[in-house]
Amino acid sequence: MTMSPWLTRPRMAAAALTLLGLLALPLVRHALEAGMTTHMLVQFPLLALCGAMLAHALPACWRARCDRWNAYGVSGLLAAALVLAVLMIPRVLDLALVDARVEAAKWLALLACGAALRVSWRPAGLLVQGFFLGNVLPMTVVAGHLFQDTPVRLCNAYLLDDQVRLGQWLVGLAACVAAGWFAQVVRAMMRQGGAAALVTGPASPGSR
Amino acid sequence: MFRTALLCTGLALAGYASAAWLTHDFQVWTAEGARRLEVALRPVATPDVQVDGPGVARQPLARLLADGHTVTVVDFIYTRCQTVCLSLGGVMQQMQAQLRQDDAAEGAAPVKLLSISFDGSHDDPPVLQRYAARMNADPALWRFVRMPDARSSQRLLEAFEVVVVPDGRGDYEHNAALLVVDRRGRLVRVFDYSEQQLALDYARHLAGQP
Repeated sequence: MTMSPWLTRPRMAAAALTLLGLLALPLVRHALEAGMTTHMLVQFPLLALCGAMLAHALPACWRARCDRWNAYGVSGLLAAALVLAVLMIPRVLDLALVDARVEAAKWLALLACGAALRVSWRPAGLLVQGFFLGNVLPMTVVAGHLFQDTPVRLCNAYLLDDQVRLGQWLVGLAACVAAGWFAQVVRAMMRQGGAAALVTGPASPGSR
Repeated sequence: MFRTALLCTGLALAGYASAAWLTHDFQVWTAEGARRLEVALRPVATPDVQVDGPGVARQPLARLLADGHTVTVVDFIYTRCQTVCLSLGGVMQQMQAQLRQDDAAEGAAPVKLLSISFDGSHDDPPVLQRYAARMNADPALWRFVRMPDARSSQRLLEAFEVVVVPDGRGDYEHNAALLVVDRRGRLVRVFDYSEQQLALDYARHLAGQP
């Protein structure tokens, strides 16, 4: 990630905490959690973004300490995949609305997921990234299809048409991420000449 | 590398544990499935709420349900409903017809039907009376009540985990089901309304036990 000179670590941390505070406002939280689609496709990614920004603001020595437990980003991507898998269980959405413990765990898990992606994505290289996406994206598509096709409501608190819309979005999102990542792979291979790029990862710092 | 492997193992275990907790050991995936399983494992006592309705003087719901010998199949409705409650009404009508045959036979176990409206401000006793007439309800077998007080309505819905969502067009979506309440007024089992025969047979079985 290229850093603009004014986007220092403290500023990034402050921005992350401001966004987190905004999301935690009861008004905003209830508005986002009122719909299944906004709950999963607006609140979830914004929380993960907060986590990623906080991880970005970590001092370099902390990052080095993390990296010892996170060779090639494997632990981080595994953590992210597990969080996404568990959060796709429909019961979580219902439970998060009525059980404060589950809601708190959901927030922490999403912050951790964003942070893990931020610190692990680049060290992972294209090969490990491909393995991660090869698991997470099909899972998302399957969940999306299930949400669209099931004739019953999977969440008691949400309406059926909201569930169908969420399913369509999940499938579309998975397709976009797959296409975007593949374009990046092709670009890296063209720059570095073939398969070497798969192990070393994209050279350009501008990529995600 | 060793540390990464160790952390990965820990993460996988934590992920497995949380998924197992959420799904009751991979038996249920939805809140509705969990609710039905939890009720079957641990019956829920009827909360202390007042109800009234056509032919039912204002009284605690627990007294109505826990008369000591009747098992009740309960459903939740609102009379303005044009969708799922109508099919639920059809299900209740069919169960009523079967219970009538039971009554004709000797020694039948006492099972009754009760429809509870969660739209207490609209569904007052005269409205419920008209609705019951439209459904051809036999007051000896199938009664209708509402909770006059919105707060106690909320309490009952919470205790029985009935979730009512306004759909923005003046209607409600709710997890419609058949709830079997035993002689002591405890909710013991929740059946899908497509499982009416199972619900009725289970209620008869409960009522037939000494």
